[in-house]
Amino acid sequence: MTEYLLRRILQSIVVLFLVTVFMFALVHAAPGGPTHVLLGPGMSPEAMKIQEHNMGLDQPLPLQYLHWLKDMLTGNFGYTFKNHIPINTIIWPTVGNTLILMGAAWVLSLIIAIPWGIYNSTKTYGISDNVATVIAYLGFAIPSFWFGILLQEYFSLKLNWFPLSDMWTVGKQGDIGNLLWHMVLPVTVLALGFLAGYLKYSRASMLEVLHEDFVRTARAKGVPERWVIYRHALRNALIPVITVLGLDLPVLVGGALLTENVFNWPGMGREFVEMALAREYSVLMAITVITAVMVVLGNLLADILYAVVDPRVQLGKKGGASV
Amino acid sequence: MARTLLEIKDLSTGFITEGGIVKAVDGVSLTVETGQTVCVVGESGSGKSVTSLTVMRLSEYDGGQILGGEVWFQGENLLTKSQKEMRRIRGKRISMIFQEPMNALNPVFTVGDQIAEVVRMHERVTRDAAWARAVEMLRLVGIPEPVLRARQYPHELSGGMCQRVVIAMALVCHPELVIADEPTTALDVTVQAQILDLLRDLQQKFGTAIMLITHDMGVAAEMADRIAVMYAGIIVEEGTVEQIFERPHHPYTIGLLKSIPGFEGERGTELYTIRGNIPNLARLPSGCRFHPRCPFATDRCRQESPPLRKLDEGRKVACWYAEDVAAGRVTGAVTGMDVESTEAVPAELSPGDGQTAVRGAAK
Ligand SMILES: Nc1ncnc2c1ncn2[C@@H]1O[C@H](COP(=O)(O)OP(=O)(O)OP(=O)(O)O)[C@@H](O)[C@H]1O
Ligand SMILES: [Mg+2]
Repeated sequence: MTEYLLRRILQSIVVLFLVTVFMFALVHAAPGGPTHVLLGPGMSPEAMKIQEHNMGLDQPLPLQYLHWLKDMLTGNFGYTFKNHIPINTIIWPTVGNTLILMGAAWVLSLIIAIPWGIYNSTKTYGISDNVATVIAYLGFAIPSFWFGILLQEYFSLKLNWFPLSDMWTVGKQGDIGNLLWHMVLPVTVLALGFLAGYLKYSRASMLEVLHEDFVRTARAKGVPERWVIYRHALRNALIPVITVLGLDLPVLVGGALLTENVFNWPGMGREFVEMALAREYSVLMAITVITAVMVVLGNLLADILYAVVDPRVQLGKKGGASV
Repeated sequence: MARTLLEIKDLSTGFITEGGIVKAVDGVSLTVETGQTVCVVGESGSGKSVTSLTVMRLSEYDGGQILGGEVWFQGENLLTKSQKEMRRIRGKRISMIFQEPMNALNPVFTVGDQIAEVVRMHERVTRDAAWARAVEMLRLVGIPEPVLRARQYPHELSGGMCQRVVIAMALVCHPELVIADEPTTALDVTVQAQILDLLRDLQQKFGTAIMLITHDMGVAAEMADRIAVMYAGIIVEEGTVEQIFERPHHPYTIGLLKSIPGFEGERGTELYTIRGNIPNLARLPSGCRFHPRCPFATDRCRQESPPLRKLDEGRKVACWYAEDVAAGRVTGAVTGMDVESTEAVPAELSPGDGQTAVRGAAK
């Protein structure tokens, strides 16, 4: 177990290293070089020289990379180009806001989808199963931004039950009730997206396990049917589901882009679009690095969970399967 | 001393498939007495597993439908019981050993856990007491270092070890009957012999009756008190191990015996195989369901299905010409299918030859 985890952590570090090298190279390969990218066009050549020196851009590339990496690792993302605001003060609140929104949608969809999918696997093609199939179908078929606008039209403009957009009502910042009220519509949109996949996946995984020999063995031992399903089959069925959850974690960080923009949610997705339009490349880089770190951490978390559920992982037999 | 423990009466189990209803078990009757070993032999697809799973009332979980019959176990008809009632019998009074030990064990629980679970299901004992019973049982089935092994997962054990664990699981509550469905098929030959020895030892120790399912006549010869030969959902011949091996009465039994490597004399160079395949159960042939493969088939065989009838003491057979077949009166020069010889039935043999032979002999 420890050996497996150490190997996983080491792999994560290697992945992060490659991501940063790639990012660094991307900036340096851009037309006009990093000065152009980081400082924007329209500077006099003299001013640019001074800036380049100040930023260490006249040093050899590996050295520059190490400096840059140190900055990134210490969370020193620099300042915005336009107003010279520390990027840290802009970016961390948006990360938090995105995690609140996506986390809520994700957890909600898991709480609904996994028990429901499991239940449906034991009563295939019943009413519950058919309802779930329709919901999953809608979840796959409806584009999230369109669904978001639809909800706004109906529940906000027409019925006036929920706010149209934003995270707080002006003047009510910090009021949890107000936050939850604002979250209902965007969380619904995002949760439906997750729900579709997880419903189908947990049902299929469980159905497969229910046909395994050891399920029959459990019955032959005199284990009650409820235990057969929730003790013997469930843990096995969760193994592939956890793998999928791990693969979905990147979506959790980056996937709210459209929904955040529809609902004007002050998260990373909205920030990214705004900053891209404003050509604030330093901010974009910071967001990308943070996203990369979170993705790698998420996968690591999934691997740990995987090892907890599946004893075969300890021998490393399945160690490569979850990357 | 020998009492009837299990009595299967006219049992039928079917599956609904696209090709119609498939009667995998079609009127099977079989008796197992206390402490006895009864082997059910037959080719793949003859309905051996479905029979045993129906006795356990487990075939229902695979979509099987019990179409008729009775299964009497110690004075109770298992077919009229609810699944809830069956649960108290399974693992405690009748238990099962499966073909693929690796797949039969749950990969996410330790083997000790899986054995102790049986105890906890059926007896009011503490967790620790159940665990101690599991370890003790692992010792009994010959697993070295049982304390250590109990904490391991199935993937950490070999196939033979896993089968010992499955046997431990089946016997930990001292059931009166163990149904073993091809317990050695998936194992190496050397391990097979060990597992069979183990089963015999434990049977002696606990006085358990065994219903042993196999397609290997060699295994049956070694283990059985009685043998039931199944073909396409029915029993075609049943008798003591001596009756079956010394004087088989059904052409299918004869075929099975001749296909044992080195069974009848050493002269035979080529291994005998029964020509043709087991029929599609959804489209059974008319008359005797073995007739398309039988070297002795007559018009009667093609039209009328022979009942399972009682011959000498303890023997039953479903063949119109059983006496003649056993006496070799329909064999020899004409058909080439001679019980006494090691010569295989010539491939070009047509059913017509058999027909003349039997008629000639019957006069
Ligand atoms: N779940 C099922 N659904 C449909 N048909 C089935 C099912 N289980 C078994 N059958 C059919 O019943 C027949 C008998 O199968 P069974 O498994 O009892 O054979 P067997 O004698 O145990 O053979 P083997 O030696 O291969 O284990 C086969 O024709 C099979 O196709
Ligand atoms: Mg079978």
